[in-house]
Amino acid sequence: MATVFNPKERKGDKELGALYSDKLRVRKRREWRGIKDTAYDYSRWLYLWSIMVRVSMSKGFVKGLFRYRWMSNYLFVPHMLDKFTIGLRDEPLRITHTAMDFVVYDVAESIKNCMRGDRRIGNDVKFSENCVLCDENAMTAFMMGFPTVKATLREVPTMFSANLLNQYSTTHYLDVAQQFGLPGDVCPMPEAEVGISIDDDFPVLGKCAVQVNTTCDGSLLGNGVIAKRLEREYGIPTFQLVAPMRHKEEDVQKYAAEDIKSAIAFIEKQMGVKWDWDAYFECAKRVNQTTRDRLQWLEINSTNYPQFVGAVFSLYNDTNYMGNCGRSADFPPINEKLNKLIMRGYEKKTMMAKEYRHRCIVWGVQPQYCIDMLYWMIQCWGVVPLTDMLSMVIDREIAETDTPENREQAYYDMAWLNENMIMRNRTHGGYKVLVDELWEFCEKMNADMVMMWEHMSCKALCGMHGQFEEQARERGIKLVWVSHDLCDPRVYTRNAIRGQFSAFMRTVMREEPLDPSIEVLPDDDNAL
Amino acid sequence: MKILLKVLKYILGAALAFFAVTFTVYFFNLDMKATALIEPLLQKHYDAIPRKQSL
Repeated sequence: MATVFNPKERKGDKELGALYSDKLRVRKRREWRGIKDTAYDYSRWLYLWSIMVRVSMSKGFVKGLFRYRWMSNYLFVPHMLDKFTIGLRDEPLRITHTAMDFVVYDVAESIKNCMRGDRRIGNDVKFSENCVLCDENAMTAFMMGFPTVKATLREVPTMFSANLLNQYSTTHYLDVAQQFGLPGDVCPMPEAEVGISIDDDFPVLGKCAVQVNTTCDGSLLGNGVIAKRLEREYGIPTFQLVAPMRHKEEDVQKYAAEDIKSAIAFIEKQMGVKWDWDAYFECAKRVNQTTRDRLQWLEINSTNYPQFVGAVFSLYNDTNYMGNCGRSADFPPINEKLNKLIMRGYEKKTMMAKEYRHRCIVWGVQPQYCIDMLYWMIQCWGVVPLTDMLSMVIDREIAETDTPENREQAYYDMAWLNENMIMRNRTHGGYKVLVDELWEFCEKMNADMVMMWEHMSCKALCGMHGQFEEQARERGIKLVWVSHDLCDPRVYTRNAIRGQFSAFMRTVMREEPLDPSIEVLPDDDNAL
Repeated sequence: MKILLKVLKYILGAALAFFAVTFTVYFFNLDMKATALIEPLLQKHYDAIPRKQSL
């Protein structure tokens, strides 16, 4: 691709390496972004602390902080934002903060609810009895018609988002799981969840639970162990919602819809509530709006001036699409704000670095939440990550008007959403969704490069190496493999991850970094 | 009027002091530096809690 140059000189810090120190676990100082953008960043920092102070004053928070190991990671929320806003100015800075402010708020609420209902901490029995524990790695579509019941995703605050804040947040739990004889070669994400369960570090709440088969051996292993403890020790009945893996096949859809019906019947029976079709179709409208918005953002990212990119693009979409799934009326106004900022940035041709040398699609099972890799690629090498595998979910709309036909269709739509949860829709479902469609996205988004995340413990992409390489070569697309082990930084450190990308850029692409000061960063040992 | 001006002066002074302190904390990342020191102490505390570990 032809390099796109930024005519506007970046205000404030030019060499971002100045922010790091090998003596500290966090940055030396925050980035100077010029007066206007520093003032904006400072205002968001104050807002984050206001959320944290508010949550810390909620019932049971302090007790929870001294009980649960994972809680201490939440002291580092501002550090996560520093990672995700590296080098950003103008609209991209505001887009990132707008999206992340809401993600932080959402997780904070989740922590508050967990502490409130937890039998060990808040022990609000009435509240707990109104909660359904939902699997973190699941579309919460089956909760769309239960507006009075609280869907609680306890793995989000304990494992997933804790790992965004501190790369070592899971290592203790991984060790616990392996001490109990569980294999160490499965995905560390579900394995850490198992470790939390074994270590008795999950909040215990809820009247019942719904687990969903995710995409891998690790997840299946994890669900069994967690469900056993939930049911036998804590008396929380657990439903297993089993989405078909070959989700593109017509003949599995009826089974999938029937399974959704069974999940709904289970919740109705356990909670003593009835499915509410008005609420369902209200949520369906919001799901469709989310789809339209996401497609519009991708459209902008197909131009020379992408605006909403990186880990935050993926994180916001995950939260909105999967965790929320149209259930919250709080998301659409945030989407509207994002729409305005994205359009404004596009019209002003705002860029995030001084040059865009390559347009890249990020594919494979991704660890980019735990490190600032995608923003680093922009600032260090001028490589813009246009989108990632987990953000490429549904592109068709579901039935949103209440008719007798649509009530039947709704079960198929919910099943279809569940089959198309992030990751499952690509790592399972056949060759087309994983390989063929990648090249279609490259064409649509004018990408000249693909970064393939190679997750060492994930078997989902095994056997596809040669096919990706051969087909990329045929199409003249530069493809780089970058190995990692998701949330276990002891296997691949951040520098080992970035080093693979830098080696490719130097040896294959024969390029020099835009900002050499951040090519190697002192954020491996002990750094958060 | 004098009282009002005095009150305004206090409010402005307090706002300036708040800004000076919080901006210093923000810019020099003092909040994260402090929490990075506290976190290992919390880890020791978690290690000392008896747990009902079970598969």
